[in-house]
Amino acid sequence: MAFLATLLLRLDESVTGLFGQWNPWTSVIVTVLVGFLTYQIAARQEPDIHPLLLARQSQRSEVRLPGESPVYRSQSAPHGMPLNAGLNVKDPGAAKWSRGRDGDLRDIWRQVIAGVQEDGPTKGATGRILTVLGTDKVVEHHLRDLTRHINFIGQHLASQGATRVAIYLPNSVELMVTLFACAFYNLTAVVLPFDQPDDAVISMLRRSDADIVVTAPGSFPFNLVVQNYPSLRQLIWVVDEGSKHMDWNEIPQGAGGSVNVTTWQDVLYEGSANSGNELPPLQGQREPSDVIVFWQSKPGQEEEMVQFTSSNLIAGVAGQIFAIPTSHRMGPSDLFLPADSLANTHTLVLTLAALYSNASVAFNSAAPQAEDLTVAVRGVFPTILVATPAALLKTHKEAQAQLKSSLVARTLHSLQLQKLTQNGVMPLIKTRLPAGSKLRLILTAERPRADTPRLSCRVLTDLRAFTGARIMYALTAPKVAGTVTQTGFYDYRVFDGEKDGGYHFGPPLTNAEIVLRDTGLFRTGSHGSRGEIFVRGPCVAGGEASVAAAGMFRDDNTLAYTRAYEFSFHQAPPDERFKQIEDDKDANSD
Amino acid sequence: MDYVQQRVAQAASNLDTFTNSFFTPLNAFFLSVLLYTAYAFLLRPSPPATLPREPPAIVFRTFTPRTLLPYNGTNDMPVYLAVRGRVFDVTRGRNFYGPGGPYANFAGRDASRGLACGSFDEDMLTKDLDGPLDTLSDLGPEELEALRGWEERFEEKYLVVGRLVSVGEEGEED
Repeated sequence: MAFLATLLLRLDESVTGLFGQWNPWTSVIVTVLVGFLTYQIAARQEPDIHPLLLARQSQRSEVRLPGESPVYRSQSAPHGMPLNAGLNVKDPGAAKWSRGRDGDLRDIWRQVIAGVQEDGPTKGATGRILTVLGTDKVVEHHLRDLTRHINFIGQHLASQGATRVAIYLPNSVELMVTLFACAFYNLTAVVLPFDQPDDAVISMLRRSDADIVVTAPGSFPFNLVVQNYPSLRQLIWVVDEGSKHMDWNEIPQGAGGSVNVTTWQDVLYEGSANSGNELPPLQGQREPSDVIVFWQSKPGQEEEMVQFTSSNLIAGVAGQIFAIPTSHRMGPSDLFLPADSLANTHTLVLTLAALYSNASVAFNSAAPQAEDLTVAVRGVFPTILVATPAALLKTHKEAQAQLKSSLVARTLHSLQLQKLTQNGVMPLIKTRLPAGSKLRLILTAERPRADTPRLSCRVLTDLRAFTGARIMYALTAPKVAGTVTQTGFYDYRVFDGEKDGGYHFGPPLTNAEIVLRDTGLFRTGSHGSRGEIFVRGPCVAGGEASVAAAGMFRDDNTLAYTRAYEFSFHQAPPDERFKQIEDDKDANSD
Repeated sequence: MDYVQQRVAQAASNLDTFTNSFFTPLNAFFLSVLLYTAYAFLLRPSPPATLPREPPAIVFRTFTPRTLLPYNGTNDMPVYLAVRGRVFDVTRGRNFYGPGGPYANFAGRDASRGLACGSFDEDMLTKDLDGPLDTLSDLGPEELEALRGWEERFEEKYLVVGRLVSVGEEGEED
């Protein structure tokens, strides 16, 4: 009994002793502790997506053929089901629950002028089409005018007996108008990359067998083309407002007289003011025509000509629309700016997707050459941007350099990174890059064999914190409309050792499936799936194509590939094709 | 009561030793709790979530009646059976197709005729393993219809893991 009393006394004394030390400092510390805990619990945000959904991003087939990997598909396109091939276009008057058509390019323009069809607050809203001139002048084009332009240009082209129309223009409304005019008047559009050397232009015209060229003066080697490409029948100059008084129809002395020259403005004036408001009717329209594009690899190498059917492009567009989660889909409140060349299929497909989603679209002919994002978005405040990896990398470097000077900015940045990578939450960023930006999504793509700089996932997540926009990084290929694979909308993860294991390019979209075929040292086995990347699906010209690079699927079922294992373009026998380029030049490893 | 008085007196005398120092054991204790909490919430890196790695995929194979034979569920082997040239992995239905099951005769064999005729007897199987495959040419429309029904059910439930050809045709493409 006495023992118990002593024990209790000791206990009492020690507790009193400990808390007897309580002083103002203790109060301060405890207050801070309680405050910190309260803040952390109150400010806790659920991650944007369940982390386990990022841990397995695509579905693998259970059975594989010998010599190749299992087939990988998007989680939303299960095996055994057809891949997503179309836009599910419902014709006016069709029953609500009926299955729509896949659609073609014509349906995209019809959707642009019809506005949002789904019931909701934005029903009937249409997007705007803008052109950015110089640094701050923005011109809006009325949709009704553009429809008339499509009709006049299309009728003119068709009346010339053309079958293939080459478009050699920078990013501009005229490019899109000509593309749609070709779609409505059953002509094959040939989209040439702009600003190419003279011989490349002639070679592309020759290979595509174009009989009309729509181009801008100053960049098109008219005399050389006339001399070297006699099949050219007509040339349409798209001239600036400022120089349209000049006589563009005059053909230089000695140049081939067989070429008929006119200007875009003349074609439009030919049409009477009250005509051309109606698009060709939907009923009884002909099969959609193809679109030819050229894939540019390194300078000096011949461009690869790819003929996409309309359904390829549409499948690409559908895949891109579904790649964005429903709550963040493009819509009439968005302003979309393609700051990469529209001759790149990736940019073109995304622009078509934005048009079909009734987003506003701005065209800036200088944007694809922009050094960084600030220059690219000049004049407008886009919410969705297609940017070149080079511009993103430059912006990243500039922002990093600024961080060095300020401790506060560095701390803030690391907290934002923490939120992105650890909590999986997109932080609210106050001071965004470029200044005043409203960007919410940046799309960018790697082009194999084209020396585009790589963006590591660390750089991408840094950029998410700098710009306050989500970024989707895609892998593209010549024969694929849109993307081969693309990192997820909510995927902000950062991995180490990416340089050795290959860059993370996300899972395939709903419009394609991927299989890796054994090649050289890259073989599928118990260690995982490796091999030459092949894409199959409705968005692939010809149904199946090789990316001509070796890749592997990581444990989270996303594709990784490194440029060190690209194949040479001119294909040698399978085993020699596999060659290791000495060093993977990376400007962005850190 | 004595005890309480005694403790109060003790505490009162201790008031003199009251200190305003920052470095007391109690402060050290709370400070370390605070620092650890801050570390746990702000600095401790957590790697991205991962799922266990998927088992390697089954490789599609070309079987002959003889090489298919071992896949009958004995000796820890999976259970395969063939229907009209396609080999299904029916291991998940081991209770039916595995050893001791009602359809055990079909395991590792060409089950087409048996399924078509609705008979699970031994004599439905092709005896000569090295001979040609059963062409089923003598079956009536009703039996073929029944076979198609089975095939559809198998396609829904089980994986096709290979194809069955007769001995000597392994190299040929179909």
